[in-house]
Amino acid sequence: MSINGDRGGLWGAPDDKTVLVMAGEIAVAVHPQRLVTPALGSCIGLTLWDAFTRRGGMAHIMLPAPADTRLGGLADRFASVAVPRLAEAVAVGTPRRRFVAKITGGSTMFGGDAGMASIGMRNAEAVKHELALLRIPLVAEDIGGGHARTMEFYLDTGLVIVRSYRYGIREL
Amino acid sequence: MDPCTLTEIQIDALGEVGSIGAGHAATALSQMLGMPVDIDVPDLRVLAVSEVPMVLGGPESLAGAVYSRLLGDLGGGLLFVAKRDGLLGLSDLLRSRAPGTSKSLGPAEEAIVTHAAAVLISAYLAAIARLTGLSALPGPSQFAFDMLGAILTGVTIQTGLKAENAILVLTRFSTQEMSVDAALFYLPDPDSLEVMLGRLGVL
Repeated sequence: MSINGDRGGLWGAPDDKTVLVMAGEIAVAVHPQRLVTPALGSCIGLTLWDAFTRRGGMAHIMLPAPADTRLGGLADRFASVAVPRLAEAVAVGTPRRRFVAKITGGSTMFGGDAGMASIGMRNAEAVKHELALLRIPLVAEDIGGGHARTMEFYLDTGLVIVRSYRYGIREL
Repeated sequence: MDPCTLTEIQIDALGEVGSIGAGHAATALSQMLGMPVDIDVPDLRVLAVSEVPMVLGGPESLAGAVYSRLLGDLGGGLLFVAKRDGLLGLSDLLRSRAPGTSKSLGPAEEAIVTHAAAVLISAYLAAIARLTGLSALPGPSQFAFDMLGAILTGVTIQTGLKAENAILVLTRFSTQEMSVDAALFYLPDPDSLEVMLGRLGVL
């Protein structure tokens, strides 16, 4: 194992159309850009899409609410902060009622620890709850299980591609 | 405790803990195998947890990991990470088979690697406990084989570590026949880091 060795996957050659969303971040993009968030474990990848303007946003959410940790850091890693913020960011010049949401992630990477085993599903529930408060319909999801996922979001068709080592490619 | 505020002498002290820990782990491995195991620590650094996937091949790179949460006076977790070849090599070593015999990572390989990693983790932890005079116990070890980024964020969320330090010890265990590359991480929670630095006399 070498430091700075092979940078597999999309890290080899990220092209200029790809907007990477790292853990705890949100981002907004317009077609022909695409949004990608790598390696979702218990985290949730959320996409919001407006078909008319082909504009959308993505969030990589790590915890349900700030009460779950004492530490500072990125506020956008919490569902209760990131979901309203992302909706607001995508809603510039776009009515929010046109948004559709898709989510993936929320798996259990290590099963033997009570706190760790439940965090994925708690994240998923928190995101769904926030979406319901904003009246944004959740049109597709691929959550749970015990595997890691990478989420890609194409803004022309709203297609979400979920890649994992265990199940290959799934389209949402 | 902010990683940016760690002084050079504090980083040195943490690095020393890491290398002594790896030495203990090699001794344990050599006792398990009944043959001498050399240990080489090609790289040792203290870095922010968010940087860890980047230095080990990117968040999407496939890796096997054994995680053990710390119980006792110190909080945080210990993580053993190796690539597929390393896990298969370790499995061959432990079953005293010729290197390259294990071809796939099935339940048997997974179990033997998890147990071996648990011993290495305990040995590492014993070094930390001895140096600091604190009680530190390993929790049950859990195995995962998937994207490195997902494994690490899962662990850091659980220990409440976002944007905090990891002590990364890249380790090469070699016997006469073969060598296994692995990484051992100690992820102290911020309070424990402070306690540990205090005990090491560099706070």
